Amino acid sequence: MSDSASLTTDHPGQAASTTPPARGRSRRLSDRWLAVVFISPALLLLLAMSVFPLLWALYLSFTDYSATRGGPANFVWFENYTAILASAQVHLRALTTLIYVIGAVALQTVLGFTIAYLISRRTHGRGLLTTLFLVPMMLSPVVVGLFWRFMLDAQFGVINSMLGSLGLGQVEWLTRQQTALFSLIVVDTWQWTPFIMLIALAGLTAVPKYLYEAASIDRASEWFRFRTITLPLVWPLLLIAVLFRAIEAFRLFDLVYILTSGGPGVSTETLSFHVYKVAFLGFNTGTASAYGILMVLVVIVLTQLYLRYLNKLKED
Amino acid sequence: MAVSVDEAVSTSPVQDHTPPARRFGLRGRSVLEVALLAVLAVVMLFPVLWMIETSIKENRDVYAIPAKFFGFTVTLDHFKDVFVASGGGRSTLSVAFLNSVVVAGVSTALATVLGVPAAWAYSRFAVKAKKDQLFFILSTRFMPPVVVVIPIFLMYRQVGLIDSKLGLILIYAAFNVPFTIWMMKGFVDEVPAEYEDAAMLDGYTRLQAFRRFTLPLLLPGIAATAVFALIFSWNEFVFAIFLTSSDSVRTAPPAIAGLIGGTTVDWGLVAASSVVFALPVLVFAYLVRKHLVAGVTLGAVRR
Amino acid sequence: MVTTAVACGGGGTESSAPKAPATVPELTKDPLTLSFIWFDWPPAHALEDFANAEYTKERPNVTIKVNTVPNANWHDAMFTQFAAHKTDFDIPILDSQHIGEAVTNGNILDITDFVKKNIDVNAYNPYLLAAYGQFPQAETGKRDENASLYGLPLLGDTWTMIYRKDLIGDKPPQTWDEMISVAEKCQADNPGVSGLAFHQANGSDAAAVTYNTVNGVYGGNLWDAKSRKINGVLNDAAGQEAMDVLVNKMKPLTAKGSGNWFIDEVNAAVAQGKACIAFNWIAASGALLDPKQSTLGTTREQILEKLGFATLPTQKTNLVPLGGMGMHVSAYSSEEKQAEALNFMKWFEQADIQKKWAAAGGVPSRTDALESPEFLNAGPFNKVYADSVPRMRDMWNVPEYARLVDIENTNVNAALNGAKSPKDALDDIAKEQQSVLDSSNRKGGGGL
Repeated sequence: MSDSASLTTDHPGQAASTTPPARGRSRRLSDRWLAVVFISPALLLLLAMSVFPLLWALYLSFTDYSATRGGPANFVWFENYTAILASAQVHLRALTTLIYVIGAVALQTVLGFTIAYLISRRTHGRGLLTTLFLVPMMLSPVVVGLFWRFMLDAQFGVINSMLGSLGLGQVEWLTRQQTALFSLIVVDTWQWTPFIMLIALAGLTAVPKYLYEAASIDRASEWFRFRTITLPLVWPLLLIAVLFRAIEAFRLFDLVYILTSGGPGVSTETLSFHVYKVAFLGFNTGTASAYGILMVLVVIVLTQLYLRYLNKLKED
Repeated sequence: MAVSVDEAVSTSPVQDHTPPARRFGLRGRSVLEVALLAVLAVVMLFPVLWMIETSIKENRDVYAIPAKFFGFTVTLDHFKDVFVASGGGRSTLSVAFLNSVVVAGVSTALATVLGVPAAWAYSRFAVKAKKDQLFFILSTRFMPPVVVVIPIFLMYRQVGLIDSKLGLILIYAAFNVPFTIWMMKGFVDEVPAEYEDAAMLDGYTRLQAFRRFTLPLLLPGIAATAVFALIFSWNEFVFAIFLTSSDSVRTAPPAIAGLIGGTTVDWGLVAASSVVFALPVLVFAYLVRKHLVAGVTLGAVRR
Repeated sequence: MVTTAVACGGGGTESSAPKAPATVPELTKDPLTLSFIWFDWPPAHALEDFANAEYTKERPNVTIKVNTVPNANWHDAMFTQFAAHKTDFDIPILDSQHIGEAVTNGNILDITDFVKKNIDVNAYNPYLLAAYGQFPQAETGKRDENASLYGLPLLGDTWTMIYRKDLIGDKPPQTWDEMISVAEKCQADNPGVSGLAFHQANGSDAAAVTYNTVNGVYGGNLWDAKSRKINGVLNDAAGQEAMDVLVNKMKPLTAKGSGNWFIDEVNAAVAQGKACIAFNWIAASGALLDPKQSTLGTTREQILEKLGFATLPTQKTNLVPLGGMGMHVSAYSSEEKQAEALNFMKWFEQADIQKKWAAAGGVPSRTDALESPEFLNAGPFNKVYADSVPRMRDMWNVPEYARLVDIENTNVNAALNGAKSPKDALDDIAKEQQSVLDSSNRKGGGGL
C-alpha cells in the first residue's frame, strides 16, 4: 500500500520532515509505539462491536439456531443460504428494495442537482437558501416517518385536504400497492434531496470560473457549457453522493417500520424489514443471520465501489 | 473543491460575463429560476412548517377538514405535555429526552477520545496497510443496523447489556468511531507536520508536540466532528428499539414512536415532541454548517 | 418458611417452564419495585395508578411500575428479553396467544399448584381462566382442568359495536347482514360519513382479528387443533364466505384510505363523526367519551346521546373475539420478586379488589365482579363485555403464534387493499400457516 495512494495524508511537508539522524532511530521506535497505542483502542472497539458480531452471525448462518428456543445450534451448512436464495418471498423483497433504491436515488439526484444548480446561479441569499434546504436532512427518520404518516393520511391528512381544495379526489397514499411504495420514495426523497444538493453545490462552486469565461468568449451555448464544462466536473462528486445514498437506501428500515410497516400486504417490505421479521417474529436466528450476511455482502460490494470512486476522485 | 455553505456564498455566480445582447432574455430566465427555486423551497419546508403549526393547535383543529392553515387558536399545551405528566411530575417523554442526552453525549465523548488519537496516528505515521485499514474502518460504518443488531443482541445478553444505557453507548460509539477517524484525519492532514517537527527539535517529545501544538489547532475540527456524532446518536432508532424497553433506559426516538399505536393519537403531542427533539439538532447543524459536506459523507468527501 | 421459588422440570408435561411454589413464600420487608411490561394504552396507566393506590395498603414497602412499549414493539420487547434470560419486568402481561411461545421456551412460571392452593377457580367463567393461563389451549368455551396454568386474567376484553344512535336509531342491528345493510343506508344518507370502521392494519394482530371475527360469525374455523390442520380448515367454504363478506361487502363501506387503521384511527373516525358503525376493543373505547377528543358533544352525556355500544351482531354463530391479557411471572426475576408477584396476583384476584379494579376502569374476570354494579356502571360498554363472555373465541396460542398472525395480518391486509384477491389471500394464509406449523423440525431456512 503506497502512501501516495492514500486519500488525504500526503502533504509535501511530511515527506520533507526528515529528522536529524542523531535522534531518528529512537524517535521512529517511539513513533511506532505511539501509533499502536493511539490506534489500537479504536480498532479494538471496532473488532469487539463490529467484526466479532459479524463473525458470530457468519457462524450462526450455517446453523439452525434460534435465540429463544434454546438448545444447541446444529450445523445445516448452506441450507439457510439456499433456502433464502430460492425463496420467492425473498425475491419479492429484493425487487421492492431495488425499485425503492433506484426510484428514490434517481429522484433525489435529479431534484438535488436542480436545486444546487439554481442556487449556484444566484448572487444573493445563497447561504440562507442552502441552510433552509438542509433542514429535512437533519431530522430523525422517526420524526420524518411519523409526520409524513400524518400528512399522508387519506382522511385527515393535509395533502389530501389540499388536493380536495383543488377539486382533486382523495388519494390513498399509504394503502395501495403502487402509491405506498411511491409515498415511501417521496418521503425518502424529501429527506435526502438536500444531501445530494449539498454535495452537488460543492462541486458546482468548485468549477473554475475561467473555464466559463473562456466558453462565453467562444459564445458557446448554455447547454453546451453545461454539458462540456459543468457536468464532467461535477459528475465524479455527484457519483459519490449517489453511491452513498444507494448504500443508505439499501439498508432502509426505520421509515418502512413507521410509515407503512410493510403494507399494504407485504408490498413495501424491504430486505431489512424482512430480516427483522425473520429475526424477531419467528426468532429463526440462523436464517436471519444468513439473510443478514447476504445483505452485508451486497453492502460490501457497494462500499467497495464507493471507495474506489472516492479514491479516484482524490487522486485526480 | 470549495465545500462549505459560507464559501458557496462568497463565490460569485458563474454568468457574470454574459454578452449584453443576451441580458434581457436572461433576466426573464432569472425570474423563472427564482420562482422555481421559491416553489421548491416551499415544498421542502412545508412539512416542517406544518409540524410546527400542528404543535401549537388544539386537537380539534388538528383534525379539521379542510385543513386550517390560519386562524386557529394557538395553544402551548402540547409543549407542556412533552415535559409534564398529566398527573403532574415528569413525563416519560422528558425522561426519554434526558436518556437521549446521556446516551448521545457519552457515546460521542467515547468516540472522540478513541477516534481523534487514532486519526492523528493515521495521518502522521507510516502504518502498515494504512489504506486497507482505513477502508476497513469506514466499511464497518455501512453495515445494515438490522443485521448488526442480531449478533449484538446475542452478545449483549451474554454480558448483560440488554436494556442498558451502556449497551447503547457502546454500539453508538462503535458506529461513530469510523466517522470520527475519517473526518479527523482530514483535519489533522491540514495541520502541517512541520509544527510538530519543529517542536521536537526544541526538545519536546512527539506526544508533547501533539498535545501542545497540534491539538489546539484541531479543536474546531473536533467540535464539528463531535457534533455530527452527536446528531447520529441522537437520531438513531433501530438499535434503540431492539435493545431497550424500559422507560428509564429508552431514548427519545422510540419514545416518540410510541406515541402512536395506543387508543388515540395525539398528533399535537407528536408534533410538539418532534419539534423539541429536532430543535437541538438544527441548532447544532447550523453551528457546524462549514463542515456539512465532510460531515454527511462521514468525512470521506472534503476539500 | 421460604420454599424454593424455582424448581426446574415441568413434571410430565412437554413444557420446560419452571414451577412456582404452591404457597406464597415469605415476603420481604425491604423496599421493592414490582415491574410489569405492557404496551402504551390507558389500561396500563390505570393499572399502575390502581395498584400503587390499593396494593400498597397491604404492602407499603412495594412500588408498582408498569413499563410501556409501543404496541407494534410489544411482542418483540418481551421476547427479546426472555431470549436474553434477563428481564427488567417481573410480571409480563402477555397477549393470550403468546402463552405457548413463553411456556415452550421456559420463560414464565408454571403456576398450576399455586392456583390450586390460592385461587378460587369456581369464581370464574372457566374459559377465561383457560384463555389467559392454560397451555396447551383448551377447546373454545372450556377449560381442561388437568392442563397446566401459566397465568391469571388481568384485563378482559372483546370487541364492542359502536353505533351512531342519531343516525341509525337506538336499536342496534342484530345480524351481520342487517348490520351491513344498515351501514350501507347510513352511508348513503349521510355524505361524508362512512358506513363502517374497523381494524385493517397489517401490524400487531389488527387485520387478523378482524378476519377471525367474521370467520367465527360465519361459522368458520381457524384450525383443527387436534390434527394441527389449517389448510383445508381455514379456507373451507365458510372461511371463503367470511373473506368474501369482509372484502366485498364490508370494505366498500369503509372510508377511503382506512386500510391501515387500527385502534386509534377507528377511535378518531368515530370521535370525528365519520363512521356510522365501528368495531373496537372495549378496553380502548374509553377515549371515545372524552369531550376533548370528540366533535360529537361537549360533555360525556352529550356524546352518549349519539353513541351506542352493543354486543356484536350474530349470523351463523354468535362468536366474538377474545381480547385482553393475563399476567404471568417471569422465570428470570429474583426469587424475592417472584414471591411478590405471586402475592400480587393472589391479592388481585380477590372479589373486592376485582370490583375496585372495575371501578378504576379495568375489566375484571371474576363472575361476581362482572355482575357487580361497580363494573356495570363504570362505562357504557361494560355490559357489552359481561354479555359477551359466554360467546368468546380465541386464536391459536401455539409457540409459532407470532409468525402465524403475521402471515394472516399481511394477507388479510393485502386483500382489504386490493393487493391480492380474497380467495388467493385466504388460500395463501392457509398454505403458509400450515407450512409454519409443519416445519418445526425443518433444518435450514425456517422463518422465511
